[in-house]
Amino acid sequence: MTHELLKDLSSAEAGQVLKLGTKLIIPNGVSLFRLGDPADRLFLVERGRIRLTLPMQVRGREEDVLVEERSPGQTVGWSALIPPYRFTLAATASLHQAEVIALPREALLQYFSANPVAGYKIALNLAVVIGHRLQLFQTMWLREMQRTVEVHSA
Amino acid sequence: MDMLLMGLCLGVFGVVLVALAFGAAMRSESWNSTVQPELPLVKAAAPARFFSNRVPMTPAIPPLQVPIEVLLLQIENHVRMEQAAAESFLASPTQTLLHSKTTSPFVN
Repeated sequence: MTHELLKDLSSAEAGQVLKLGTKLIIPNGVSLFRLGDPADRLFLVERGRIRLTLPMQVRGREEDVLVEERSPGQTVGWSALIPPYRFTLAATASLHQAEVIALPREALLQYFSANPVAGYKIALNLAVVIGHRLQLFQTMWLREMQRTVEVHSA
Repeated sequence: MDMLLMGLCLGVFGVVLVALAFGAAMRSESWNSTVQPELPLVKAAAPARFFSNRVPMTPAIPPLQVPIEVLLLQIENHVRMEQAAAESFLASPTQTLLHSKTTSPFVN
C-alpha cells in the first residue's frame, strides 16, 4: 500500500511513521469523526471508503450530504496538523467496514522534529492533499456561481 | 268617433291584459322560489362542497415531489458529477472545461 502522505519517503522512514499509528476498524455507517470535533489524529485509509460529509438543510431536515469520498492510500483529517485543530467535515465508513491508520498529532510532530528531512517530505505531501482540495472546491464553487449568475440574469 | 273610441278601449284593454299577464308571471316566479326552496339550495351546495374539498388537498399532497431519499441521491450524484468535472478541469485547465455544461439532472 502506497500512501499519498508518505510519498518519496524511504521504506525505512515510511515504516517509522506507520509505527506511530494505530489500526482502527470502522464498521459501515459508523462515524470516524464529526464536524467540530477536536482534531488530534490524522488518518491514512488502508481499506474501504470514507465518506466526507457536511450537514445541509433538505426540506427542513438536517441531512449529511456527500462532499468527498476517500479511498485506500488517501489521507483523511489533515485538520489534525492545521490550527485550530478542529474537523471541518464529518467522516463515516461507507459501503463496507473501513480500515484506517490513526496517527496522533503529538507523535507526528515529535517525529518531524527528530527527522526533519522526512518531516519536510510529509509536509510537502500534505500541502499537495490540501492544495488539491482547495483547487477542487474553488472549481466547484465557481461552476455553481456561474449557474447562479445564469439563472439570475435569465 | 266610434271607431276611435273602440280602438282606444281595445288598446287600454290590451295594456291591462299585458300588465296582468306580466304580474301573474312575476308572482309565479316568486311563488316557485318560496314553495320549493330546497332544490336551488341543494344544487348550489353540491359544487360548493366539491370546490372546498379540492382546495385544501392541493397543498397537502404536492404533486411531483420526489421522496427525500431520491432527492438526497440526486444531490449526491450531482456532487460526484461536479467533482468529476472539476477534476477534468484541474487535469487540463481551460476556460471551456471550467464552464462545461453539466448533464446532472439535479440542475437540468
